[in-house]
Amino acid sequence: MSTITTPTTSKQGPQKQGRQKQGHQPPRSRRRVEPIFYLFLVPSLILFTLAITIPGIMGIFFSFTNSIGIGDWEFIGLTNYIAIFSDPAILQSYLFTFGFSIVTVIAVNVVAFLLAVGLTARIRMKSALRTIFVIPMVVSGIIIAYVFNFLFSNSLPSLGAAAGIPWLESSLLANPDLAWIAIVLVTAWQAVPGALLIYIAGLVAVPGDVYEAAEIDGASKFQQLLKITLPLVAGYVVINIILGFKGFLNAYDIIVGLTNGGPGTSTRSIAMTVISGFNGGDYAYQMANATIFFVVAILISLVQLSLTRGRNAL
Amino acid sequence: MGLGLALLAGLLSGCTGDPGESAKETIRFTFSKREAIGFMTKLVADYNASQDETEVVLDTSGVDVVSASFVRGNPPDIALANYNMETSRFVQRGALSDLSGTEAASRVREDLRPLMEQYGSYPGRTSALPYSVMASSVIYNKEIFAANNIAVPTTWSELIAACEALEAAGVTPFYATWKDDWTIAQGWFDYSVGGQVDTLDFFKKLDAEGVDVGPESSVSFQKDFDQPVRKMLTLAKSYVNKDAASRAYGDGNLAFSQGKAAMYLQGPWAFSEIAKTAPDLKLGTFPLPMTEDPNDLRVRVNVDLAAWIPEASKHKDAARGFLEYLYRPEVIDAYNKSQLGFTPTKETANVPDPRIEGMVEYYENGKVYQGPSVLVPRTIPIMNYTQAIVFGAPPASTLRTLDADWARLAFRQ
Repeated sequence: MSTITTPTTSKQGPQKQGRQKQGHQPPRSRRRVEPIFYLFLVPSLILFTLAITIPGIMGIFFSFTNSIGIGDWEFIGLTNYIAIFSDPAILQSYLFTFGFSIVTVIAVNVVAFLLAVGLTARIRMKSALRTIFVIPMVVSGIIIAYVFNFLFSNSLPSLGAAAGIPWLESSLLANPDLAWIAIVLVTAWQAVPGALLIYIAGLVAVPGDVYEAAEIDGASKFQQLLKITLPLVAGYVVINIILGFKGFLNAYDIIVGLTNGGPGTSTRSIAMTVISGFNGGDYAYQMANATIFFVVAILISLVQLSLTRGRNAL
Repeated sequence: MGLGLALLAGLLSGCTGDPGESAKETIRFTFSKREAIGFMTKLVADYNASQDETEVVLDTSGVDVVSASFVRGNPPDIALANYNMETSRFVQRGALSDLSGTEAASRVREDLRPLMEQYGSYPGRTSALPYSVMASSVIYNKEIFAANNIAVPTTWSELIAACEALEAAGVTPFYATWKDDWTIAQGWFDYSVGGQVDTLDFFKKLDAEGVDVGPESSVSFQKDFDQPVRKMLTLAKSYVNKDAASRAYGDGNLAFSQGKAAMYLQGPWAFSEIAKTAPDLKLGTFPLPMTEDPNDLRVRVNVDLAAWIPEASKHKDAARGFLEYLYRPEVIDAYNKSQLGFTPTKETANVPDPRIEGMVEYYENGKVYQGPSVLVPRTIPIMNYTQAIVFGAPPASTLRTLDADWARLAFRQ
């Protein structure tokens, strides 16, 4: 995370907001490093190695075996990988996860940006409203999912029945073709506040005099939004898209609480198929799946890094 | 992950291993059936008080921890656990000790052997003994049946006629809870298929076909399950509550206890839930008729609990002592009575609860089957598939997917 955001913001400053910051910091001396810095690093390095790196390497290792998680196993080479590429269930989970992530990222950013514009304008009860909008962020995903599950399965249908609206009477979650919309809605509901905070920070940093100048030149409010605000917070849009996309690719808890991958297999995410390997005795196979997912994630990160680095970063 | 689990499990079992009195030999007894933990806690206390050689420690930490404990070489000394595809892994790799010499083994009904061996066996060993068998079939509301003069159907056409009569009287025939996919797999799918297909034989042949399972193989889901699944859809499309798709298991229990439908495809575990809101409701059970021959009627069974003693246990003799206690007629009968299960021993004094009386003759005569949904390895999402079918996915293509999944699994394992 920090590796992506740091270059973006530091490049962003001098370029687009030139009058606030200027020039480089004096180069630091590299000859002597305080040992205390290493001391800060070591605990997290050890923890990261024990909890992430070693299990990760173990998982990649086992993806070349036929292990079921216990007992004997033997090497079977690339068999698991070959099987994955002909497995419609896994291909479908990739398709679903990517489609879902793209739609959600767009929805979250549009909503969060508009809310942020509203909440940075001169309106009444600004801080109270900001607090209210941020509440979803502090509630755990699985709880949100169960609450919405109840709303979708019980409250909305009975509302539809009472009001005589036939399409509302059947639950959105029970429709294999539309259940993903419910997942997008709930995920966005939870993810908007995070993006909102970043946008507010971005909007506050836009200097007031550019608006003043635009106003004198006769630009309407809408033109100001499109021609001034949007370009000036473009860096924050990129951050939000990257962070959001990464998070949505790992979608798990909200889906489990809402549809548990159903109806049928229509909303199974990649993370859900991987975890099925642990409780289904299909450990090695799903480790191979996880390894592929890992490589895909690295590729996406590289693309995103190259987009945000360099002079022509968004 | 595996490492973390193992570490965690080690910590947990370290905590529970406190011997109390040092003179007694301590054995660890794994049991995690949620509904019966209270019963088992008392049973263990009684046993510990009744003799001064063995101290049994009850460990309720659950299936995943048990699996991990085998990997660490520190499994429980004895367990009563659900007998399924998961346990079969330990059986097939010889991780469970031979119980054939015990008195308990000699009491178990011989004809239940195929039920146990369906999950595999280890040459020359009796690796596990059935302790509690659960039978499930259609639960029906006797009051509604009587009020509409409907007799228990024994053939498919009688069943359809009963459904039509109920519909005509304004009663919903079946209460379905399709939001929870397991209720479809366990009830709708298993009863429909098990009522027509010999699952024992089918899965034996399917195993032999392995990677070749498909349209050309001697047995396949697309060929043998097609007709039962279509019949299931006939019932599912016409005779269920309108909001079935958004109802969950809990909703179903409540609605059924309120008399909102005449029939309910659930196992005996639902009785205690229904009794919470309607303790006096007259309920009965009958096997779902899928053919025109009453001789084909069978009930779905599963070995809800089986006893086993791991090979790696260091206290096998003490564990066997406790095993014999568990199989004492009064103990095993009391347990099964409390959970509405069937006692799998030759002589039992248990009088079945009226609610499960309708299944007794089938169980006694061995007219039973294991549900196909539990015989498919868990890595194949069969519950999701059955849900897709009732929600309108074409059955033929879903069954083809099942065949392909089976062949793919055989290919890599």
